[in-house]
Amino acid sequence: MTIGIEHILAVSGLLFVIGFFGVLLRRNTLVVFMSLELMLNAAMLALVGFSFFNATMEGNVFVLFIIAVAAAEVAVGLAIIVALFRRRHTVQLEELVSLKG
Amino acid sequence: MPSDPQAYLTLGIFFGIAVAAALVPIGLSHLWLRWFTPAKPGPSKHSAYECGIEATGPARIQFKSQYYVYGIVFLIFDVEAIFLIPIAVAFLDLPLGAVLVAAVFVLLLLESLAWCWAKGYLNWK
Amino acid sequence: MNYLELISHVLPEIAVLVTALVLIGMGCAGGSRGGGKAVLAVTAAGLGLALAAVVFGPESGRLLEGMIVVDALTRLFKAVLLALTLGTALFLFPGGEAGGNEGRGAENSALLLLALLGLLVVVGTENLLLLFVGLELASLALYLMVVFAAPAGRPAEAALRYFFFGSVAAAFLLFGFSFIYGATGSIDLRVIAKVLAAHPVEPILPLGVGLALVGFGFKVAAVPFHLWAPDVYQSAPAPAAGFIASASKVAGFFIVAKVLVLGFGVVEGSADWGAFAMGWAPLVAVLAALSMVVGNLAALAQQSVRRLLAYSGIGHSGFILTALVAANAEAVRAVLFYSVIYGVASLAAFGVAGCVLRARGADRLEDFAGLGRTAPAAAGVLALALLSLAGLPPLVGFFGKFQLFAAALSGGTPGTVPGLLWLVALALLMSAVSLYYYLRVLKQVFFAPAPADAAPTRDTSAGTAVCLVCGSVLVLLGLFPSLVLQPLQRALVQLF
Repeated sequence: MTIGIEHILAVSGLLFVIGFFGVLLRRNTLVVFMSLELMLNAAMLALVGFSFFNATMEGNVFVLFIIAVAAAEVAVGLAIIVALFRRRHTVQLEELVSLKG
Repeated sequence: MPSDPQAYLTLGIFFGIAVAAALVPIGLSHLWLRWFTPAKPGPSKHSAYECGIEATGPARIQFKSQYYVYGIVFLIFDVEAIFLIPIAVAFLDLPLGAVLVAAVFVLLLLESLAWCWAKGYLNWK
Repeated sequence: MNYLELISHVLPEIAVLVTALVLIGMGCAGGSRGGGKAVLAVTAAGLGLALAAVVFGPESGRLLEGMIVVDALTRLFKAVLLALTLGTALFLFPGGEAGGNEGRGAENSALLLLALLGLLVVVGTENLLLLFVGLELASLALYLMVVFAAPAGRPAEAALRYFFFGSVAAAFLLFGFSFIYGATGSIDLRVIAKVLAAHPVEPILPLGVGLALVGFGFKVAAVPFHLWAPDVYQSAPAPAAGFIASASKVAGFFIVAKVLVLGFGVVEGSADWGAFAMGWAPLVAVLAALSMVVGNLAALAQQSVRRLLAYSGIGHSGFILTALVAANAEAVRAVLFYSVIYGVASLAAFGVAGCVLRARGADRLEDFAGLGRTAPAAAGVLALALLSLAGLPPLVGFFGKFQLFAAALSGGTPGTVPGLLWLVALALLMSAVSLYYYLRVLKQVFFAPAPADAAPTRDTSAGTAVCLVCGSVLVLLGLFPSLVLQPLQRALVQLF
């Protein structure tokens, strides 16, 4: 079996949806975080796949930037969580977000 | 506009499968919880290790959130180095301008390091 | 391309970046003294330099295959963003909001400038990669601004919520971009438009555009991606909220209009009544209708004025998206014009709200009682801003809304009943609703007696000046709208 673009898209779509439902359903902020990264990784996988099958470099360059942006996002998010943890001593989402929608 | 309605059907089916793949394990685990492992709380059930040594002290260990600060700082400097890889790969063919741009990038990293240092985030308190 | 040419085209961005780095350096060196007048002077000087670089810089240019684009439109919007940020920076200082975060003034200002830098990059590009990087830079700086100036627990929670919503939206945007790239083989908007015009549409393209719309919907706080907005507007320090409601929203609408009309004009589809065709227009029409209804009706029930402003902002996103559905030159002009005046009016409204918050400790409707007597200038500016948002003549809001709805009606085949009549009728109805809650605030301001123990509202002279400038801009543009419309028209002629 040769690996085609549809296989890559299938995996990346699965990753994205799993990540999305992880964000929606998980309660621990750190796990929510990991799910977010899963969503970004799905987009990266799709970009690399398209880049390979389109035979253009833009997708690979895009991925390089996403890796850096994702790291910055993790740093900011962790900083917010640490700031909250110092005050509230919990990382459970329903205990943290007490604001009304 | 749609070139081939069949292709949309494939997409729709695929997304249905993707959503199911995310939701079904969660649903199954809930069913499993309800049918096969009903909650039977008890002192031995609640102990940290059901066999072996009796746990002493509280389960919540205090550890400094400053570990995280170190982690964050490390993460940033570790991952931003990714931009140096393309430069390193093509280093011998680079014009002067590109080398200067790389130098500016490293200087930016240096300023953030200096900021962390001056603010005392690198000191262990 | 040589580096000098590149530098001359991004000089405003470089000025803003260098100023931010200098401010970080000041925060580094100053320790607890970092704050106050010096920071304000550096910020203002940097913004002034950037503005000069925009005004006297190159008139047009397109470098690196659309990564950096300079034309009349981008120059106009960069100038608007710089002016709005200058206004926000003056609110940040001193004595006022800086009260809860001693020694962080320099970093706060640097974050503001980094957010601005992200928005400038977003405005000045036609490349999906730079678009994403700019949006993320702005968002990350804004998350930190919301949490950084936090005196007590609540803003950190709002920041966490803002962060999670924003990150999910960014992931959607990115996933959408990856499909767009896969379907067209390019991340340059102009090339994408050409490919779309020449080839049949691949099925993954609509998926990509839809996913990207989720990300953009978050950026402009359109229903159903609005859930972060009320908390952030209410809990964030007033200058940060003002920036999110003004500069960030202006850039958001600019980029939504540019991407959809310039890049995906071919696959617009139609949201006309009875002539429905698949494309992005029906999706945007649904977002617009939902935003108008949910935003305006929820605003009726609010007690906190900043929350009310947040919901009214969601409603305004709906009004603006209404015109975008028509997607012709007139509609784009109306969208851009209205987003600018919306930005000015919200900056003024948040400025006054922040001033009341500082004086009375809360921003419930009752806290605005008697403001007309204790602080006539602030009350006057608030009245101007709210009435302009409500769209009463002779203020500029009336003219802007008129343009929006006229542009929406101008779409479709000439001589028939306009297909977007259903959307415009809804918009007019919701405008009438919005008048009610704006007047509810103004009734408190002018007709309710001030509480006996009311602390006098004192504000920094800089903040008052910004409010007054915003107010006079609203009146002046209402009398002479061509001051902004004509440059906008000329700029758009180049684009279309």
